[in-house]
Amino acid sequence: MVLAGFVLACAAALDRAFEDRALTTQRDRLQGLVYALLAAAEPTADGSLSLSPFRLPDPRLQNPGSGLEAALIDQRNALTWGSVSLSDDFPLPPEVPPGSFDFVSDQQRFSLAFGLRWLNPLEGDQRYTLVVMEDRQAFDEQMRAYRRTLWSWLAIAAVALLSVQGTVLAWGLVPLRQLRNELSRVEQGSQGKLESDYPAELAPLTDAINGMIRSGEARLARQRNALGDLAHSLKTPLAALRALSEDARLNRDDQAAIAEPVGRMQNIIDHQLRRAVTAGGRSLAEAVGLKDVLERLSRTLAKVYAERQPQFEWRMPAQLKIRMDSGDLYELMGNLLENAVKYGGGHVRVTAGRLGRALVIAVDDDGPGFPESPERLLGRGVRADARTLGQGIGLAASDELVKAYHGRITLDRSADLGGARVEIRLPV
Amino acid sequence: MRALVVEDDDVLRQHIVDVLSEGGFAVDAAANGTDGLFMAEEYPTDVAVIDLGLPQTPGIDIIRKARAAGRDYPILILTARDGWQSKVEGLEAGADDYLVKPFHKEELLARLRALLRRSNGWAQSILVSGPVAIDPGARTVTVHDHPVELTSYEFRVLEYLLTHAGKVISKTELHEHLYAEEDERDSNVIEVFIRRLRSKLDPEGSLSPIATLRGAGYRWDLPRPNAG
Repeated sequence: MVLAGFVLACAAALDRAFEDRALTTQRDRLQGLVYALLAAAEPTADGSLSLSPFRLPDPRLQNPGSGLEAALIDQRNALTWGSVSLSDDFPLPPEVPPGSFDFVSDQQRFSLAFGLRWLNPLEGDQRYTLVVMEDRQAFDEQMRAYRRTLWSWLAIAAVALLSVQGTVLAWGLVPLRQLRNELSRVEQGSQGKLESDYPAELAPLTDAINGMIRSGEARLARQRNALGDLAHSLKTPLAALRALSEDARLNRDDQAAIAEPVGRMQNIIDHQLRRAVTAGGRSLAEAVGLKDVLERLSRTLAKVYAERQPQFEWRMPAQLKIRMDSGDLYELMGNLLENAVKYGGGHVRVTAGRLGRALVIAVDDDGPGFPESPERLLGRGVRADARTLGQGIGLAASDELVKAYHGRITLDRSADLGGARVEIRLPV
Repeated sequence: MRALVVEDDDVLRQHIVDVLSEGGFAVDAAANGTDGLFMAEEYPTDVAVIDLGLPQTPGIDIIRKARAAGRDYPILILTARDGWQSKVEGLEAGADDYLVKPFHKEELLARLRALLRRSNGWAQSILVSGPVAIDPGARTVTVHDHPVELTSYEFRVLEYLLTHAGKVISKTELHEHLYAEEDERDSNVIEVFIRRLRSKLDPEGSLSPIATLRGAGYRWDLPRPNAG
């Protein structure tokens, strides 16, 4: 925009300067012609003034219609002498004081009039006006040619400047574009921090961003550690309290009276800690390979439930990664796999993959399926402290976890294994 | 059977010790990781209960080091409910099962019995050796389907001999697996237990389940319990 304005102003100034210059040149040329004509002036027989056709300075004056005309006009406005090229309807020049010039430019021609005094030896003092006129066509032609050249060169210069500017700008913005791409990869979790080399001007910015990512991770880790410690330090005394409630010296009513609130406290703590510890949402955590987590969990479960001889089957791309805190993913898949092993017939299948804008993970088993209504099993609408132990507690915990990642869980019957099917949908 | 308990919370540790003692185990207890590691490596343990969150040495290190030292008794870890990662790590370090806090005492005992059964390769919870059948959970004994009344220590001796059927068990070994480190010891008491067991299990002298090998120890001479 600025550049365009600059180019236009430049063009106007150049145009104006050139026109002024051309007009001055024109006037000077005509003036030169006037002097040359004066040199050709000679007295006639009657003592008046005339111009010798043999001493005319410009051959165009001798050519009719050449565009260069000259005339000598006496004080009575009568034509004393006219060049051969003079047209019949030339405009009479204004009265000009002797010794001075009058330059007029109109639509058709330029004319320069010069007033002179002639000392006629016979009739005394006589006044003449010598006028030289030149057709404007050549001048206009020249101006047009000049303008064409001017504009085409200016346009070329403008385009060149704009493209150079664009290139420089684009080149200068390359690191910023790279930064943007890296940041979005960090946000998606496929990258832990900004890694590329950036120019020195950007280094403080990228260092600051990396610092922010690090401190965010550190803070998260600290909070989770603190919560883990809290969980441990609360759970152990609670376990001790429950142990006291089983003291044989208490009668059955007293045991129940202690066990009931202890159980409720336990559930509340479980519930709130799970919510607090769940990283959830869009953390800056790196994506975790699902298969690695499943392999480790299945080895653990195969050892613990050795007598059931569970068979695990994974159907998923080997490199499938999930943008979830690794502790959360262990929790989620651990609960679901353990339920499948515990309540299933020994065959557990996990299917996972992208489906449009969602990531779908399904856990199928060949057991008897879900005994209760899914809503009740997921603990929806049931107060945390009123939930029952067993299959439900793992499912309710998984449900809360998945919700924290804006996903959802559906419970169904497995189509080909015949048992329970838990399907998780996470937004990508 | 001798059990090791490593738990830093005093009330909970005492509770576990009580439950296990009641269940017929000789129990050693450690309140921190350093003591726990020493006991796990040095004591003649048959089964261990280890809390993962311990001061000083973490539970996971105890498991790893005990396994590295060649101790292969089953280990049960105690974890918080939302601790799948620690469960996985514990099992990978060499533990055999986990129990989520808080737990019922019946569940703890059942898990330990199951672990012992599994590590010895028995399929059923009742161990049958010839006409003798013992139920380690209920702590009952029958001979030819007739119940036999045993004291707690007599049962422990019988359980140990029977589960190691065919092997010669020295008096010292019996002693070690019968009593915890801090229990009072009397070296003559083993002979008394053996004599009483023989008379209670085999009043007519037709079975002779326990052989005495002079200078070496004792051996259960009835067939190994139902393997597989």
